[in-house]
Amino acid sequence: MAQSNATRRVVVTGLGVTAPLGTGVETFWPALKRGECGIGPIESFDTQDLYITIAGEIKDFDPRALGLSKPLLLADRYSQLAGWAAQEAVAQSGLTVPFEHGPRAAAIVGTGAGGLTTLERGYYDMYVLKKAATHPLTLLRTIGSSAAAHIGIEYGVKGPTFATMSACSTASHAIGLVFQMIRAGQVDLGIAGASEAVLTYGSMRSWQALRVLSDKGCYPFSRTRNGTVLAEGAGILVLESLDYAKARGATILAEVMGYGTTADAADMVNPDIEGASEAMRLALEDARLAPSDIDYVNAHGTATAVNDVNETDAIRRVFGKAAYDLAVSSTKSMHGHCLGAAGGVEAVIAVKAIEEDFVPPTIGYAEPDPRCDLDYTPNEGRAREVNYVLSNSFAFGGLNAVLVFGPPPA
Amino acid sequence: MDETAEKIVEILKKNMKDPPETITLDTPLADLEIESIDLAVVVFDIEDTFNIQIPYNANEEVEDFKTVGSVVERVRALLEASSSPSGAAA
Repeated sequence: MAQSNATRRVVVTGLGVTAPLGTGVETFWPALKRGECGIGPIESFDTQDLYITIAGEIKDFDPRALGLSKPLLLADRYSQLAGWAAQEAVAQSGLTVPFEHGPRAAAIVGTGAGGLTTLERGYYDMYVLKKAATHPLTLLRTIGSSAAAHIGIEYGVKGPTFATMSACSTASHAIGLVFQMIRAGQVDLGIAGASEAVLTYGSMRSWQALRVLSDKGCYPFSRTRNGTVLAEGAGILVLESLDYAKARGATILAEVMGYGTTADAADMVNPDIEGASEAMRLALEDARLAPSDIDYVNAHGTATAVNDVNETDAIRRVFGKAAYDLAVSSTKSMHGHCLGAAGGVEAVIAVKAIEEDFVPPTIGYAEPDPRCDLDYTPNEGRAREVNYVLSNSFAFGGLNAVLVFGPPPA
Repeated sequence: MDETAEKIVEILKKNMKDPPETITLDTPLADLEIESIDLAVVVFDIEDTFNIQIPYNANEEVEDFKTVGSVVERVRALLEASSSPSGAAA
């Protein structure tokens, strides 16, 4: 990989999150440290004839109380979640709003499915209720670039502004892209991450039909796992060049060290060891780190039968003996699978792990699976020195994105 | 092969690119390269055709989906359960 222009260092100066277990880092992170579970019976809609009736819902998301702007109050839930996460991240960064150097800023905020709630409601009104009028914001709420656009408008971002869309790797691709843009000098700062809000009856029906969901819970790497659990959420970072952050006296939370992305080019649902391990290898190479430098791997860990074995094999291939010194965990066991937003939510976790030298657990771990033999930090989080974190995102279609985070530059 | 078995074989063939000329009750689904997502599609087609619900989780090993015959047996059992007076489908 050419690194001739890779001269600028990129740092994280703001974190924003909303997910099951909490809206806001100060609520979310302590719950993860305690090993709480945000998955439960679905309450936000009538599950009717569904046989999968659990999910990770955000219970404390009140757009008005959170002070969202009028355009966001009128937006789809997915944009509202993103809008809140960006609001929290930008507030923490201390950047003035609108951004002083808007043309030198990016807003890359992805989604796996966009405004699905709006779309489903619109179709229901039209086909079932035969309503005469369609809500005039149906289109704007639905399009998958609306969160990015809303956020760009809120903060005066006038540089690259768009959404990524790569299913469960969406957020990591967004963060990786902004990282590369800043490093290459295309922009000085950016808002990056993703949002997902697909907990609707229709969406659950389509997931249920794919036969990959668990009806019990999300138990990654445990022999007792029997599928993943859907969740909603948004995870957003503010990234800046080190120089830009220093010049304005910002508090630096972490450094983005590397990014690796590959595609399996093999199968829509079955993951492949080549693609996953090569993405990790590229991310480490990009970060100029050795496998043994990594302290913690925030695994993709979906709790499907195939992902967890493939990911374990891929980690072993990349890390060799060092794989057994790593702390690994899948925080999806607690917040569920936030789909497109997963990599954003988990990037927030990666930075907090570095900040507080703490590895959050994989909860619900009941029984070792002989094919998954790493240290998955079962059931209880652990205080340990965490300098470098690798965060995996592997998506349907075999689309892989891996990020490496490190401590703030000395 | 009875009507139920014939319908199931038709469904299998419909979801294959190059179906073999003969599919018997002993044919393993793996030999037909029906795995993973294909199986979800086949299960859907069977549910749709027979108006039944088949419990199936791709994350679990399910004996019912080893051979064509085992699928036929499972569907027969579900059809009988749904038409019996006690009525409760699995």
